[in-house]
Amino acid sequence: MLDPIILLQIAWTGIAISSYYVLFTIAFSLALKVMQLWNFAQAGLMALAFYAMFFALNRLALPLPLGIAFGVAVTVIAAVALEVFGLRTLRARRSGNLTFFIFTLIVAEFVAYLLMMIFGTEPQTLFPSILSQVHIVMNIAVSNWDLIAVGTTLACVTALWAFLRFHQDGQFMLAVAENASLAELYGISAKRAYLVTMTIVAIISCAGMYLFGSRSGVFPTTPLELLLVAVIATLLGGMGRVFAAGVAAVALGLIQSFSVLFISSQWQTLVLYAFLFVTIIFFPLGFRLPLWLRKAFKPAA
Amino acid sequence: MEYLLSILVLCSLYVMLSSSFNLIIGYGGLVSVAHPIFFAIGAYVAALSAIHFGLPAVPAVLLGGAVAIVASAAISLPSLRVSGDYLLITSIGFQLGLLQIIKNLEITGGPGGLSNVPGTITGALRSPAFAAISVLLAAATVLLIRWLMRGPYGRAITAMRDDELAFTALGRNATHIKIVIFALGSGMAGIAGGIYAFFYQYISPEQFEILQSALILTMVVVGGISTTWGPVVGAVLLLALPQAITFIHMPPNVAGGLQGVLYTLLVLIFMFARPQGIVSAPRTQL
Repeated sequence: MLDPIILLQIAWTGIAISSYYVLFTIAFSLALKVMQLWNFAQAGLMALAFYAMFFALNRLALPLPLGIAFGVAVTVIAAVALEVFGLRTLRARRSGNLTFFIFTLIVAEFVAYLLMMIFGTEPQTLFPSILSQVHIVMNIAVSNWDLIAVGTTLACVTALWAFLRFHQDGQFMLAVAENASLAELYGISAKRAYLVTMTIVAIISCAGMYLFGSRSGVFPTTPLELLLVAVIATLLGGMGRVFAAGVAAVALGLIQSFSVLFISSQWQTLVLYAFLFVTIIFFPLGFRLPLWLRKAFKPAA
Repeated sequence: MEYLLSILVLCSLYVMLSSSFNLIIGYGGLVSVAHPIFFAIGAYVAALSAIHFGLPAVPAVLLGGAVAIVASAAISLPSLRVSGDYLLITSIGFQLGLLQIIKNLEITGGPGGLSNVPGTITGALRSPAFAAISVLLAAATVLLIRWLMRGPYGRAITAMRDDELAFTALGRNATHIKIVIFALGSGMAGIAGGIYAFFYQYISPEQFEILQSALILTMVVVGGISTTWGPVVGAVLLLALPQAITFIHMPPNVAGGLQGVLYTLLVLIFMFARPQGIVSAPRTQL
């Protein structure tokens, strides 16, 4: 019989770890929803975000808020350039999905190689020490990093939800996501919606890389591996369902954490790929509860 | 001389890889990027059968190709159910999942790989012999695909790619074609993998990672997708050009990064300046 404290500890650690998965996933899912783009270039933006913050904090010795601001600024500029000079051109040419895929993947690789040249292939962390103060809450170890991670993620998700729900640009993004041509007929600029989307993707990627980079070592190719979790969660949540994808990312984090009870840690990543394979083959439209269950939980009108 | 022959072997193997990949993605329109995993399957099966069962090189390479053909079902069967982006993501999942298994199994040497692959041919003629075999096999691959695509079966493949619905409405069997294309392409990649293992005598999982997918895809796109000679030009260009870097004395980490930067930059330039590739097909539009 497993100790409930151990189970709770694993659950909490899983939730904390899933925080950056959630951020990468909602950024990836948002680009897919609004721009109909499997944006693998997000891995390049993530790498750029991390190394810009790393450079600002460790080489320029800037204070933390300035270092983060520097990272955000660099990533947003890169994201806007990617949209204006790359994606917009391909869209104007009516390029096929394969071209977009190759372009975004090659951009991600280009950034990785460039960073490899500049910063080398050794893993880097944002801070000299990745140790974080630990508090014991109801016999569960909760670190400062855990609290920052969960808090940052909740703040980002809430801000994105509020932006999409209440801000005009957010509503325009949803309109473009539904039908870009129709939205343009109503005077909504799809170009602006795409730019705003890329800016949000850059900011969220930066937040995610701050959390990841303050806890683990980062290689220039690490973001591409991290992004695959976002792809799996996006598919599990269902295309176009940004926040459901975020929930799926939490579920993946928990599954990965709980899998240590059944399989050795070296096989944990395989669980994710198995999920990816099964999801696409059996749930290509995402995982949904059965209709009778959804009806049962639906509030009375 | 030894170095040049080694580059010739590598170029020939990548011609086999890019041409067979072009059969799947270019002619067949089946968007999978898991081609390096079949290269890996061929390499590992050939190497392991030689190490553990003492199998001679030729049957070991053929066995590698056969196992790659069987393994191709893991992608061709999902392709009957999903297509486009979904197939692409499935193929990435399959590739990374299988690599994860290879990395964690003791028999495959784990992340360190296998370094005790038998030499097969020894002496001064080793490199020239491997170069001759590789060039012949590369030529055979290109000509086989050219012959296939110029015949009635090739026209059926093109028709399926252009409009699968109309193709099946005419009573043709798209399922059969998809399975055959994947099996052929993967088998060729498997054979290339077997030769790679015997020539370099060392294989590791990182040689077959997602960056390899991008490299082969790049060769096809830069050379010219859906053309016979495009992948050949792409493979030679993208392997030969970065070799120039090795003649400049640089620290290894900088040289490696610079090679990567060069080839990704080349792809980006081609995507915008000449999207149809160096050798363009009559109706290619990227």
